[in-house]
Amino acid sequence: MTVQQRNSIISRVWWVISFAALAILVAVLLAIFWFVAVRGFPALKFSLFFTVTSGLAGGLANAIAGTVLLTVIGLALVIFFGIGAGVWIVEVASPRGRQLLRFTVDVLAGVPSIVVGYFLYVALVEGLGWGFSLIAGSVALAIIMLPYVVRAADLALSTVPTELREGAIALGARPTVVLFSIAFPWALPGITTGLLVATGIALGETAPLIYTAGWSSFMPSLAPTHSPVGYLTYVVWTFISQPSDAAHALAYAAAALLMVLIFATNLVARGLVESWAARTLKRS
Amino acid sequence: MATRAVDVVAATTIPKPKSMAAQTALVRIWTTGTAIICGALVLLMLLFLFAFAWPAIKYNGWTMLTSIYWNIGDQYATGTTVHNGVAAQPGANFGSLVFIYGTLMTSILAMLGAVPLSLLVAFALVYRIPARIRPGVNALVELMAGVPSVVYGLWGVVVLVPFIGQQLAPFVTSHLSGVPFVGGAAGSGNGLFASAVILALMVTPIMVATMRDVMLAQSKALYEASVALGSTSWQAVTRVVVPSVRNGVFASVLLAFGRALGETMAVLMVCGAAANEFPSNIFQTVNTIAAIIVSQLESASTDASGIAQRSLAELALILFVITLTINIIARLIMRGTDRLGKSNA
Amino acid sequence: MAGRRPPLIRFFPFLMHMEKLMRKISLAAIALGALVLTSGPALAATRLLETGSSLLYPLMNLWVASYQQAHPDVEITTQSTGSGTGISQSIAGVAQIGASDAYLAEAQMKQSPMFNIPLAISAQQINYNIPGLNDKHLNLSAPVLAKIYSGTIGFWDDAAIKAINPSLASKLPHEAIVPIRRSDGSGDTFLFTSYLTMGAKADWSAGMGTSVQWPAVSNEVGANGNPGMLQTCQNTRYSIAYVGISFLDQANKAGLGYAALGNASGKFVLPDAATVGAAAAAGIHNVPSDGRASLILSPGAKSYPIINFEYGIINPKQKDKETRDALVAFLKWAIAPSGGNNVRYLSSVRFLPLPSGVAKIATAMIDQIGT
Repeated sequence: MTVQQRNSIISRVWWVISFAALAILVAVLLAIFWFVAVRGFPALKFSLFFTVTSGLAGGLANAIAGTVLLTVIGLALVIFFGIGAGVWIVEVASPRGRQLLRFTVDVLAGVPSIVVGYFLYVALVEGLGWGFSLIAGSVALAIIMLPYVVRAADLALSTVPTELREGAIALGARPTVVLFSIAFPWALPGITTGLLVATGIALGETAPLIYTAGWSSFMPSLAPTHSPVGYLTYVVWTFISQPSDAAHALAYAAAALLMVLIFATNLVARGLVESWAARTLKRS
Repeated sequence: MATRAVDVVAATTIPKPKSMAAQTALVRIWTTGTAIICGALVLLMLLFLFAFAWPAIKYNGWTMLTSIYWNIGDQYATGTTVHNGVAAQPGANFGSLVFIYGTLMTSILAMLGAVPLSLLVAFALVYRIPARIRPGVNALVELMAGVPSVVYGLWGVVVLVPFIGQQLAPFVTSHLSGVPFVGGAAGSGNGLFASAVILALMVTPIMVATMRDVMLAQSKALYEASVALGSTSWQAVTRVVVPSVRNGVFASVLLAFGRALGETMAVLMVCGAAANEFPSNIFQTVNTIAAIIVSQLESASTDASGIAQRSLAELALILFVITLTINIIARLIMRGTDRLGKSNA
Repeated sequence: MAGRRPPLIRFFPFLMHMEKLMRKISLAAIALGALVLTSGPALAATRLLETGSSLLYPLMNLWVASYQQAHPDVEITTQSTGSGTGISQSIAGVAQIGASDAYLAEAQMKQSPMFNIPLAISAQQINYNIPGLNDKHLNLSAPVLAKIYSGTIGFWDDAAIKAINPSLASKLPHEAIVPIRRSDGSGDTFLFTSYLTMGAKADWSAGMGTSVQWPAVSNEVGANGNPGMLQTCQNTRYSIAYVGISFLDQANKAGLGYAALGNASGKFVLPDAATVGAAAAAGIHNVPSDGRASLILSPGAKSYPIINFEYGIINPKQKDKETRDALVAFLKWAIAPSGGNNVRYLSSVRFLPLPSGVAKIATAMIDQIGT
């Protein structure tokens, strides 16, 4: 057997192993989805979307609205702060500053979410007297998402080819223009991925919200403070612990809904990015 | 390459806003401001934890790091014990050795499985999956990153733990009885192994997503050049692509490791919540810092002396320090390999 | 770049808007900040927040759902967080009702005197998973349980277990017992360890509390919440677990057995309305005016040994008169035999109503709630 032949066999074997790895991952995902779907979908009735939770039964309208509100406000905060910090790392910071913030952000990723929740409970809910509220919950989610978004923006902006930047600068483009018209479009898919992963994590969080958003079985009022908000993970976490089959069904329905929500968000965001990409291809 | 960039910039009509300088300043203020706030936030949390935990640090001394016993003391006793000028309920003793060990072991075991798995999956995704179905597979991977941690935990309790406890562990322990870390009692399925599997499944999609993006952004040309020069596709990936995206891969691994260290709910549900005892093999029960914080916050908040609650804050600080240390070590290693790479080139 | 990937560079119009968007977002953030600073508590119906015990939570939900229909002007939100959280958030004034399975300890009462208002009576069962014996009721006593959870009794066919189960002695298997305990701080742990402490002083050294330093037993497992206890017990053969009475139906459905427990007279009794009721009737004589009393091991041959009051931990000072009035009205309804203490609500979670003497003590405390 020649070296080439041997290498090519080794190559093929490794690719088979890679596909096996992918297959395992997809199989586990499907197993988990099946696990939730079998238990959740029978309970997923149309009326769930229009009625609020009442005791251990009723619908999920309040939780759906609350989850969407908390996540959207959290996302707005993290887009502003996270991408800003990511741009700073790549475009503005000195090497030392860059290192320091990357380090800080990685450390933040390792802080248990319950610690974030408890910190905000002491600082915002009790300290500033905001009570359980929309704004405290959104801030909690934003902090949970922050490391993933900063890191994604950092990584994606770092991959912008130097030639592109240099070309633009050579043509007299100002830093702002380079950033908004060269770097961001290039980094958009990477940043989108980061935002999606972060959103997924935020949608699945329970611990920090219990201490900040509280829980409410009523539709969220838009008051930023002193008004607790319901959310889907609370239903999953709490109702699964209740001694009644109806409560369990509602918990699994909430879990299934959560996964569908995440899936839909992903598809839409991916679709947007792909269609932008396609349009650009056509034009150039 | 350069011509392309020139084309692009030339083709775009650069608009002339009212004040370019003002815009630049605005961007500068935005990025610097947010960066400072992000940094300050972490610092603030650290300071808060430290200030809150201070009485506990005084009360516990080195016991926190040397003892394996966690005991909030007799809440129904009258009177208190005083140690280093700090009062606690009688019998209170806060030792975290078991939890530190469990945190590190579950996360390291998880990463041992998850890092190779993620790399392989990312390779397959970027270089082998046809472009037509890639978006579908991508969506699946991101969906997996979004499965709530409670759902992972539930699946672990209902499906994974019985499988380990009734099939895998008895099989492995009976066939490998003499092997350290593996042989011995089979346990109930809850424990180190189940926690590591769940953690690995949770961090893999996060790593895959980042690794995939880094590879997609950087290395197709490199890969194609390498294949054109006669290396097999696998060699092209491992010898050319991987070194060129090393930093990105490394960053994603660090981020995932951080998440594994801090993951709470799912681990809490499958770890078996060991107390006062180290696991004798990978099928025995363990406990992690994050899990003990969330499971003990309840009882601690009824402690009249408040030391139990403050000791939990001290635990959070310890986790902070662990994450910090791992980050520093990782960065030192990175710097070392960077230098190596440069001197080789 | 080999042209493989569109550089996404020409969405100028969109991206030039991004900066405007950023400016808008920052303006919005400032506006939101101002709103937060200026807005006081939102004006609406009177809001009450109940948080705490997961054992009381199902009943609380039945109560609130029903009470809400008759009183639409009050918005009551219920949360299952755990007794400790219930107590601390009630003290902090974040919640109005802190639900707890245990009364406040003396040390805590000294720090923050709160009302411990009994709301209903609950109990606890001991479940086990011994294939072949799950349809029988084993007799278990406090000393035997203490020894199992300390590791001195390791097998189901131990002489001490055989001695109190003469009819099943030959069927008890030589299998290692897997004791399951709660990993989270829990009122159930408080009740169980109280039973061990009071019923087996010589054999139990870990004391009582919502979380204790469990003796190291090598095959012991910690489980999260009552459902975790049931699931682990169901998954693990030859295991034993202590579980809140509202989960008895679930335990039966899971095919687990439950034990007859040794009471103060040395008799073995199963948990049912008669035995829990007998224990409650016998135990109320020593309930003091502040409501803080243990009902563990109540006297009487028919008394079930592990029962307790479910408490509402109430701050004596409420923030305003509306809140106080709404709170008092709800609590009075909850303990009234025609209201919340009706079997209609209680039976589905297997709780029992407060004896009238205790209801009087509770009412006296409710009347003292001020602002």
